[in-house]
Amino acid sequence: MTKTSEKIAEHRITEEPFYLPQCNELQIAEAAYRNGLPILLKGPTGCGKTRFMHYLAWNLARPLVTISCHDDLSTSDLVGRYLIKNGEAIWTDGPLTAAVRAGAICYLDEIVEARKDTTVVIHPLADDRRELPIEKTGELLTAPPEFMLAISYNPGYQSVLKDLKQSTRQRFVAMEFTYPPPDLEAKIIGKEAGIDQPTAHSLVKLAKMTRSLKDAGLQEGASTRLLIHAGKLIASGIQPRVACRATITETLTDDHELLAAIDEMASSIL
Amino acid sequence: MTRDAVKNRLHRLIGHDSLHFWDIEDHIDLLAALPEETREEVFRQIMAIWPVSYALCFAFLNQLAKGLNCLQIDQLAAWVNATLDVYENSGLQAASRFLAEVENNFACKLRGTPGLTLEEARGRLQPYLTGLAGYEIAISTGVAAYTDTTTIFLAPEISTFDAKEQNFLLYKLTTTIQWAFIANGLFRLSIPSDGPLLAPLPSKSKPGRAVENLRLLDFCALFPQPKLARDVLLLAETVRATAFLHRELPGLMRDFAPLCEQLNQLRPALSSLSGPDQFVEQLKQWVISGTRNGNWSRKEVDPGIFDLCHPASLTDPAASVRNSAAFTIAIYGELGRSHLDYRGTPPIPYAGVLKPRQAEQAGKKRREESKKLFIQALAAYLPESKSEVQKTLIPPAAQPPARQGEQEQTAVIPPGRKKESTDSPPPPDLLSPQTFITLDDEELQLPESLQPLLREIANDLGHIPPEYISSASQRAGHGRIKGSAGPSDEAETPTGTSAICYDEWDFRRSGFRKNWCTLLEKELQPATGTFIADTMHKYRGQLRRLRRQFEMMRSQQCFVKRQRDGDDIDLDAVIETHADLAAGLPVSERLYIRLLRDRRNINTIFLVDMSSSTEGWVLTAIKESLVLLCESLSMLGDQYAIYGFSGMKRSRSELYHIKHLDEPYNDTVRNRITAINPMDYTRMGPPIRHASNLLANRDATTKLLITLSDGKPEDYDDYKGDYAIEDTRHALIEAKNRGIHPFCITIDRHAHDYIAHMYGEVNYIVIDKVEKLPGRIPQIYRNLTA
Ligand SMILES: Nc1ncnc2c1ncn2[C@@H]1O[C@H](COP(=O)(O)OP(=O)(O)O)[C@@H](O)[C@H]1O
Ligand SMILES: [Mg+2]
Repeated sequence: MTKTSEKIAEHRITEEPFYLPQCNELQIAEAAYRNGLPILLKGPTGCGKTRFMHYLAWNLARPLVTISCHDDLSTSDLVGRYLIKNGEAIWTDGPLTAAVRAGAICYLDEIVEARKDTTVVIHPLADDRRELPIEKTGELLTAPPEFMLAISYNPGYQSVLKDLKQSTRQRFVAMEFTYPPPDLEAKIIGKEAGIDQPTAHSLVKLAKMTRSLKDAGLQEGASTRLLIHAGKLIASGIQPRVACRATITETLTDDHELLAAIDEMASSIL
Repeated sequence: MTRDAVKNRLHRLIGHDSLHFWDIEDHIDLLAALPEETREEVFRQIMAIWPVSYALCFAFLNQLAKGLNCLQIDQLAAWVNATLDVYENSGLQAASRFLAEVENNFACKLRGTPGLTLEEARGRLQPYLTGLAGYEIAISTGVAAYTDTTTIFLAPEISTFDAKEQNFLLYKLTTTIQWAFIANGLFRLSIPSDGPLLAPLPSKSKPGRAVENLRLLDFCALFPQPKLARDVLLLAETVRATAFLHRELPGLMRDFAPLCEQLNQLRPALSSLSGPDQFVEQLKQWVISGTRNGNWSRKEVDPGIFDLCHPASLTDPAASVRNSAAFTIAIYGELGRSHLDYRGTPPIPYAGVLKPRQAEQAGKKRREESKKLFIQALAAYLPESKSEVQKTLIPPAAQPPARQGEQEQTAVIPPGRKKESTDSPPPPDLLSPQTFITLDDEELQLPESLQPLLREIANDLGHIPPEYISSASQRAGHGRIKGSAGPSDEAETPTGTSAICYDEWDFRRSGFRKNWCTLLEKELQPATGTFIADTMHKYRGQLRRLRRQFEMMRSQQCFVKRQRDGDDIDLDAVIETHADLAAGLPVSERLYIRLLRDRRNINTIFLVDMSSSTEGWVLTAIKESLVLLCESLSMLGDQYAIYGFSGMKRSRSELYHIKHLDEPYNDTVRNRITAINPMDYTRMGPPIRHASNLLANRDATTKLLITLSDGKPEDYDDYKGDYAIEDTRHALIEAKNRGIHPFCITIDRHAHDYIAHMYGEVNYIVIDKVEKLPGRIPQIYRNLTA
């Protein structure tokens, strides 16, 4: 087991991550933590969910194990499997199991991307049993109080194939993340991309315009992450309109009329 | 083509009966003489106008020779579309005039100018404007640019500059300025009639009746020459809006700057004018020069005029429309001394003209609508919010406003701002504030879905009137509006033996009326015609894109691991089994990988409203949508069915077969789509229940039920009002409970109150512009199943 705890130790966050709270999300998450409740972060992509988890883990001084979900993720990938070493079968914990043992925070990012039969393994961990049965070894792990489960989910996808089941979601304390308010978002971009506030504000303005197109053809508006990308290119000396085209316009859509319209927005602002 | 062939063709397009009312002999000669390609294009345009208005179609034929004389063949569609816009907004006469003035409205090909039509620019402009405003403002064709606050009207073509890009830039600036007029509060002008602002006006021009606050329309009416007042006021507002754009959208102004010079060269010479005309023209040229850099300098204008204008009072970020009103009074006072009448020179292209009456009317209509919508939407949100409020994040920065001991239950404030009074509307803010309301001492953040509406109302009124919120909170308790009666119990025996009976939900007794409706499956007689070909031609560009997008969705070949048998050995599984074996565990037999070609296992039924209310554009758009949808879906291989529905009374609910789930998309299906025609009424319950039954019996992993309708369900008997809404709602909930995903598409200019309730549990979308429908349906399907 020392192997596991060594590995987990690497997930300790030693430096304070840069995070500007949107609201009282930290208080809510800490209260959930103290009560042994799992959390669900809802919100569009690139609005700070992952960063928040880092910040939370640093605040709680717990290691953070992040698992990005995809549809090939199997139960063994989460829980663990036997491996052969020197002709001997050795049980190896998966990241979820490792996190439970070490009392870490386990964050399953974009949970709906995983197949439904995979996500059921977290159910007993997510209710008041706080248990993880390991079928192969016959072990029933009970999570220590320090362990926390967190998942994230983007309700913006309208796809019926990617909906979070009620039986899953009702186990969590849900927190909604949106794009930060303009001033805060500009501060974040300024800091992360290393650009001045007027430019950061212009990017936020552009983002807001694209977000207004959400039901008028765009599936989603520009996220904070995209704005940071744009800002970084600008900071490296790329002409602002070109930077926006590459990092924002082209990533949002392939529709040529919308592309042109977003270009017009960018060229109006910058 | 011979005359007879042309005649036959027209007969087929338009129909015998209608045709012989019109004297078309002359037109037949013209059509017969046209080159093939041109004639086909004309026929296509006839098909676009005919369903809208016979008389307009006739007017089109009358002007056709003139139009062809002046337009390129590929401009015909733009000409017709612009005409239809004018027809929709201003009626037949205006549209006929517009047709007749084709030479003025479009750059003649003879002149060879590289004009840009609104039709070409719209695809780029409309989303740009929506993004800019944060809610939808429509774009439409008008003779000069103006806005009525709901729509921005733009010239059908701009050919001012030599390059298309420059002409587009003028469209863009015009759109942006018109939006800025709205956002900066021009149309919210409100002046106390006894205030100092109006003092300089001669007392006889002051309103006789007691008007407390003068609005824009009243203000302009104060002047003996209202046109002069409107023009001057708009100039002042143009300075104010331009200064605002220099602050907020510097990129746009930088791009436009080089064009200002050229615009001024096109102005009439001052020496050719006299009196107020000359004076105002000088002002106009000065305004255009200042547009270049946002600096209206003394150099460019008579010092006397400059001192009168005092532009700093307008360019100040804190300036309001009242400063422009003061400016108007000052200039008018100066000009009023002249005894010459004001006729006016052409407007500044991007500023256009001011039409207070149109704005007043459109504003009134919209205010009624948005008030209703807002109250409804907020009411729907409130009951939940009480419990959800703890979970919603509330920024610590947004402290509740100081309560002024008032009894008023509610107030809306943007965070960080004091409650504003109506007199000084908040300056527009591209980074619009999130809005919070306080209700019973609790602070609620309004859901994001309400933001566009909030922005629209705030633009109109400068604030959210507290009574909107109190009405909403009163209504929140009682979700439904009571009142209308359900169907009476008159006995009607269902007829038809192959009929299927369905229950109907009666909300008043919270129970079903057993076997209440009879549904008959009917066949549509396939029809031949050019509809399919025309649609494919009209949307050829879009189709190409859709096909490619759908092709990409076709699930690429994918491997599934850990199968009992398959194409290849699953190495991971084998190693794991090996390890398990060594650990003394029972081993798995799932050691293979299988190549799955199609993992999409989706069955969809589309239910299409064929009631009589869809007659005309709506049904045409629905039919076109079906064509695009089928063409796109044929790239995918998802199974889908299409049924039309209509009927009359509970004994005859009809379901028209267009395509069954297992049926391929072929010419028969195409001809059935062509044959879709408006029928009777809309009873939505039975077809939804029937389609749910069909889907429930399939073993697809994903089952979708997509309805396409226009507005309220309604039948000839008492199936209307709440009863119909509640039954539809219930039928959708039943479907959902059976593991089906319903999705409802409503074509309506407005998202009415009832829609949110009727579709409450279900995903839905309201499409406000029919012409958007054909492109949207395949996209919706794509998003739903991606
Ligand atoms: N509140 C915040 N404080 C600091 N940085 C933020 C904040 N919100 C977003 N970011 C920035 O945005 C980027 C994208 O956020 P991320 O957490 O990866 O998004 P998500 O996980 O929601 O998709 C982060 O890398 C970070 O730079
Ligand atoms: Mg993330």
